[in-house]
Amino acid sequence: MEGLSSKGVLSHLSVLAVQTKSRRNPPQQSTRVKELKAEAEALMMRREQLKAEIQTHKSLQRMRLSMDKGEEEMDEDSENSQLLQLMAKHSQLKDLLYAHHLIGGYDIIKTSLGKGVCVSVTTAYEGVYLDTYNLEIDLKPVLRITRHNVPPFIPLNELAEQNNIQTNIKAFLDVLSQHLNAHAGRKQQLKLVKERFPSVDVMESNVLCSILVLMFTVPRQKTAVLCTLNYSDHTRCLPTTVHIQCEGRTVSTDNQGPPSTVYNPRLCVMSMLSIRTLKHNKFKCPSFIY
Amino acid sequence: MNEENTEEVKVLEAQIEQLQAEVAQLQRQQQNNHKDMTFNFSGQMQEALLYLCGQSVVRTKEEVVSRLEEEVKEMEEDLKRQTQMNGINLNSCTTKTLQSGDSQLIQKFCVSGYCSELNFLVEFQLTEFKQNQRCQREISDLNVVMDATDLKSFNGFLLNVEEHNDHLLFFRTLRTFSDRCDDRSRTFQHLQDRLLGEQKELLCMRCIPKPFKTTFVNTFVRISETGYCKKTFIILQAWKFFSQLGGLFTYPLVKTKCLGDGWLVLLILKSIYHLQITFRRLPFFFVV
Repeated sequence: MEGLSSKGVLSHLSVLAVQTKSRRNPPQQSTRVKELKAEAEALMMRREQLKAEIQTHKSLQRMRLSMDKGEEEMDEDSENSQLLQLMAKHSQLKDLLYAHHLIGGYDIIKTSLGKGVCVSVTTAYEGVYLDTYNLEIDLKPVLRITRHNVPPFIPLNELAEQNNIQTNIKAFLDVLSQHLNAHAGRKQQLKLVKERFPSVDVMESNVLCSILVLMFTVPRQKTAVLCTLNYSDHTRCLPTTVHIQCEGRTVSTDNQGPPSTVYNPRLCVMSMLSIRTLKHNKFKCPSFIY
Repeated sequence: MNEENTEEVKVLEAQIEQLQAEVAQLQRQQQNNHKDMTFNFSGQMQEALLYLCGQSVVRTKEEVVSRLEEEVKEMEEDLKRQTQMNGINLNSCTTKTLQSGDSQLIQKFCVSGYCSELNFLVEFQLTEFKQNQRCQREISDLNVVMDATDLKSFNGFLLNVEEHNDHLLFFRTLRTFSDRCDDRSRTFQHLQDRLLGEQKELLCMRCIPKPFKTTFVNTFVRISETGYCKKTFIILQAWKFFSQLGGLFTYPLVKTKCLGDGWLVLLILKSIYHLQITFRRLPFFFVV
């Protein structure tokens, strides 16, 4: 009897021992399984999320297309159609506002209390966006410019007076934009000339870039040519008068006038200047007015 | 038991591989959609998107909708302000993202709208990249389309603008041109109302019958190739015109005071009425 019960206890103990062992072992392996299961779950969630996003994008795209055409959106059965329409409208407005900014709009912002506004004037030349200038304008009690970062050689206050900033702020901004863009264009042209044609010497230039004196050497004849560009209209990127001087004999294949003041369009073209004015064939005389 | 686990692991690994492939494919699809039409999901739009994709735990539908509505209202007011100040009305703007990365962002824009009565459709490519720690932006592939009737005035200028990608110049010039045309219409109206009083028959002649067309230059506002808008002097060869008609009438020449930046010469042809000329309107010549 004792032997039987002790055997029973022992075998029971050994069974328990095996059970404990087997309970200890699976955790080591099922950790891996758990990890994989978690990863699979995460991937499934990501997949569903992506599917939902793609579906939303499709619906929004459809709504935007009909909204852009000005069509009235039909009532859809979807419970989320109101939200989708709002989202489509939001995205349309956002795009339109960005477009206003891109095409050189003034980005007018009301400052606190509605007593003033902030405007930005964008400048660009040949597709390259250049500097942006900002102005803070008080509307009450009287319209005046309080802060700005317009350089001093642009006659801001004169322009404001001449263009009746009090009654027509838009006209003033249009003129200011012309001046700033023209200046930015002239400055950029000068920069490009310096970069692309290092052999051209800039003898003289001013901050406003309204006078430019360049010295370049004709490659074959090795003659120095002095070219003076005068931009008396500050709202233009092109010069009003061009004066070319070269010493010694004539320097082109075509014989031109007296050597002291020579104007030869073909010479200028082959002189590598990138300034557009010289490519125009309208120049027939030494000085001209646009 | 080990074998069972290995089996399970294998099954799971295979499942994961498949899921990864699916996710990758969906991501590619999403990127392509992005290229067709780009949406900016940030702020309230982001919240709305999260809600729609079942991800939002914080907001209820009502909250999402009301916040979005508020933002939409603000943006509508902002758009009105911009339109009024910029003088240009935009109907639509579509954005496509061609390339998006750390180094640069390339987008294609198609903007349509009108300025006064001039319609336009402008397409361009915008490239944003970092240079010397500054964000640089450049426009390329500019393409401008205008109505055929307006095209004549703008033709040379448009070709130039497209060649040099001067999109800002185009819009500045468009505004200036439409301002000048509005000026012209207002001045005509002003003349009709104030200066002519009883001469109600004085009307504006803009369309001149063919046989007499060569006599006049009827362009008021000219745009040079470089975008310079200026008012043109009208070559008034009225005497030629009248002599052609055999001098059947008298024409008092009235010089008015200086209106802004020009002299106004009014030609009143009273006798025209008595002639069987198929003018529907009296000629009115305006020299600026």
